[in-house]
Amino acid sequence: MRSNAGLVFALPALVVLFMLIAYPVVYTGWLSVTDDQGNLVGLKNFSAVLRPRVTTQALWNTLWWVAGSIVFQVLLGVATAILLNQNFPGRALVRSVALVPWIIPGIVAATTWAWMFHTEFGIINYMMTGVGILPEPIGWLTRGDTVLPAMIAINVWKLFPFVAIMVLAALQSIPNDLYEAARMDGANYWGEIRHVMLPQIRPVVTAVTLLLVIWGLNAITIIYAITRGGPANRTLITPIQIFRLAFEAVEFNQAAALSVLFFAVVMVVVFVYIRLLADRAGEGT
Amino acid sequence: MNAQTRTGLLALALLAGAASLPAKAGEVTWWAPNWGEARARELVQKFQAANPGITVKIEVTVSNGLPERVLTAMRSGAGPDVIEVQHGWVNGYAQNDLVLPLDDTLQDKADYQKSALDYVTWNGKAWAVPYRIETHGIIYNKDHFKEAGLDPDKPIETWDGLVAAAKALTKSGRSGFGITGGGEVGNTIFRSLPFIWMAGGDILSADQKQVLINKPEAVKAVTFYTDFYKQGLAPKSTLENDGLSLRRLFVAGTVSAYQSGQFDLPAIAKENPKLSLGAMPIPHPEGKQTAAILGGWSYVIPKAAKNPAEAKKLIQFLSTAENQAFYTDTFPARISSLKAERFQDPMLKPFATMLPYGRPVPAHKNWVKMVQAYFDGIQRILLGEQTVQKSMDQVAEEITALL
Amino acid sequence: MSAIPSEAGSLTRPGLGWPLILLGSALVVFVCLFPFVWMGVSSIKELRELYTIPPHWWPENPTLANYEKVIFQSNIPRYFLNSIIISVGSTGLALILAIFAANGFARFRFRGQAFWQSCVLVGQLLPTAAIIVPLFITLRVLGLVNTYWGLIMVYMIITLPLSVWMLTSYFRAIPIELEEAAIVDGASRLRILFAITLPLSLPGIMAVLVYAFITTWNEFIFALCFATDSSVKTLPIGLAEFSTEFNTDWGAVMAASMVMTVPIALLFLIFQKHFVGGLTAGATKG
Repeated sequence: MRSNAGLVFALPALVVLFMLIAYPVVYTGWLSVTDDQGNLVGLKNFSAVLRPRVTTQALWNTLWWVAGSIVFQVLLGVATAILLNQNFPGRALVRSVALVPWIIPGIVAATTWAWMFHTEFGIINYMMTGVGILPEPIGWLTRGDTVLPAMIAINVWKLFPFVAIMVLAALQSIPNDLYEAARMDGANYWGEIRHVMLPQIRPVVTAVTLLLVIWGLNAITIIYAITRGGPANRTLITPIQIFRLAFEAVEFNQAAALSVLFFAVVMVVVFVYIRLLADRAGEGT
Repeated sequence: MNAQTRTGLLALALLAGAASLPAKAGEVTWWAPNWGEARARELVQKFQAANPGITVKIEVTVSNGLPERVLTAMRSGAGPDVIEVQHGWVNGYAQNDLVLPLDDTLQDKADYQKSALDYVTWNGKAWAVPYRIETHGIIYNKDHFKEAGLDPDKPIETWDGLVAAAKALTKSGRSGFGITGGGEVGNTIFRSLPFIWMAGGDILSADQKQVLINKPEAVKAVTFYTDFYKQGLAPKSTLENDGLSLRRLFVAGTVSAYQSGQFDLPAIAKENPKLSLGAMPIPHPEGKQTAAILGGWSYVIPKAAKNPAEAKKLIQFLSTAENQAFYTDTFPARISSLKAERFQDPMLKPFATMLPYGRPVPAHKNWVKMVQAYFDGIQRILLGEQTVQKSMDQVAEEITALL
Repeated sequence: MSAIPSEAGSLTRPGLGWPLILLGSALVVFVCLFPFVWMGVSSIKELRELYTIPPHWWPENPTLANYEKVIFQSNIPRYFLNSIIISVGSTGLALILAIFAANGFARFRFRGQAFWQSCVLVGQLLPTAAIIVPLFITLRVLGLVNTYWGLIMVYMIITLPLSVWMLTSYFRAIPIELEEAAIVDGASRLRILFAITLPLSLPGIMAVLVYAFITTWNEFIFALCFATDSSVKTLPIGLAEFSTEFNTDWGAVMAASMVMTVPIALLFLIFQKHFVGGLTAGATKG
């Protein structure tokens, strides 16, 4: 069906978004090439933000943070969705409970976890040393090698319910005849998962993954509330660096420059992703 | 299909049509923090009674996200008329041309603590009117002192004395002296930079042309500070602790002494009424003077304020000696206000003694980035990644790039 | 809506097996609820019991004082109302716009489709720190600062992109044959959307609805900057109001968080039976 009717359907949403976003995009672009007096300075802001070594460190942390979060969010989310798609008594309750981490306000979740992870007050250390898993309390948030994994764990906990709900919706929409066909071929439950469920939820998982990448690249609440990027920048991710530049150092021009770079990188990721996605969708129809 | 387009346009028209509330003449919008809301409302009533024709609208702010909110409003030109901000933020606003100079508003200059005025002065002009100041002292657990064989009524005067006391206090799961190494940058700057000053060092030279942070005086002080952790006299959780966590550890009885302001005293008394509280000025190196960073709050008028004349009137009213004494959470910025009854509590005395030693932090454009570099350096030492000298050398290198 | 329960069909289907279901459910419940229960326990503790070493599993004197404070002595009830208005408003608006847009992207081929579809995402690619100031200016020009409409519109930036994208993939998952049959019958595009596509993708719409609602319910920084008057402030700001410069009334924050979280979970519990696809009910069995 090739017609512009599709664009007309999309128009209201595009107009609303354009109205809200157009000015911020232009404004950010303009700030990135000017100084605080509004004079054009070329690429000075860009070189200023790229010079400190902390920028590179933040970039690597961001990669780890996004990759680590997404792998577990998707795996746990899909597994939970498959579980919640089963019929069992109490399912409604488990479904609602699974939503809880997502509903808890981010800042509260972050502070609660910081408190639970605390070396001295923390219930986690208390439990683990109590039952003998750990000989002595671990400084989860103070050790260079545990702090980023701890942040990732909290982020996974917070958002895997989102993946679960989205995938559950896709599972619920799978036509019964597909299952029937699989059953006629003699598939057991694992066969159903492999040959019916996973292929059917693939478009949704692909879309969810893309969105998780974008969020992961923008998510600062958890890290900022708990470690502020520390200790010694071990959990500093680029969006926090941008946040610091803008609101702590009042360097809106440099923050804008870093945002533009960030925007460009994410744009490339999204574009590549959409191409792959579009190709696959093409196969399907 | 046209129906959809029309719906979209209709929504747009609706939005564009929604009238903005015009600022009424003679209305002053005042952003006051939630902790002083009740007192602010009382002051507004008095002000309005004395100034018919001016109405004051209070919009309550919260500390979480306040700098972002203030900057966003100022930069987008939609700010209120009066905002309460921390002294340390004022310079950034002044240098970015976001606030009005207030020399014409500031009265009885001689009555203000000089360091408070220094704080909000840039380029020879005052950009804010300070109303509240405070410094840190040391808060300690008197019972722990007794158990360790120390005299709880005799303040410790020197660094050596503090280390010795911390060693004596550190036993049976307690940490003798808590330091911060986590949370917001300011926590650790407020607690460690004064030690550098006491030792005769600084981050920058007075003319702001030289970096002094890796010179022997500064290194000595940073070693002194971080050694509390390295030698096991501060809690294991130091790297995740800010001032609030330290206070909680103190309330729980696992930290025996730590640096903080008088604002912690009522909170401790409420959370653990049985704890026997003591306070003293911060010890200094033998033969030198103590020092502290001056903290506190000021009033600013954003450049985009709609009614600056009325706003200035309000600030002058709020800045009388009497009203400052009434409104401040800690100490007033005016010297004469200190005579008020509420500041005569003996527990406050050590903190009041510290006030004249309070100093502002330097007004450098890149100060925030510099202290971030310094804070990262402290964390590297606490993590055991670098020696003090090596870490401060790296800090010096990073700060030099910011000069 | 052809909401015949799916149980009939699934009886004969193989399942995960009881031990796995039990284990999995137990794990999900534990992982999701542990911090939440800890919050709940903290909300009924007395102040002096909040920070003890070692921590207390159960309060010595459970108290409802924190809830009393939150419900009767704070702005939380008012903010609750504001939050409901803003979240329902922005969720509803996002859903309507997204349904049309997703229908356009999923069911039509047009020039520049990939471009327009990525355009939808642009708003999410810029860091919050970068867009917040210009966004404020936009709102000021539109006269929407300190209004319900202001936040409802701003939340479009957060909720619309995801809603459009997710709905597009849910719509695509519906066999196109069903719609083609209707077109042959002469139904208009709009009728097809409402009579066939929407009922069949009910679970997807539910999921998007839940997403948009929760996200706006918890949003902090936009609400903080764009709603400075207490007549439009939302719950997350209310939480922040329990903190002062050097202190946080932790018990009250926890109680307020429970007040914020539990109703939403209950709401989902009530509505989750609609999480059933039309097709699983056998729409194509014919």
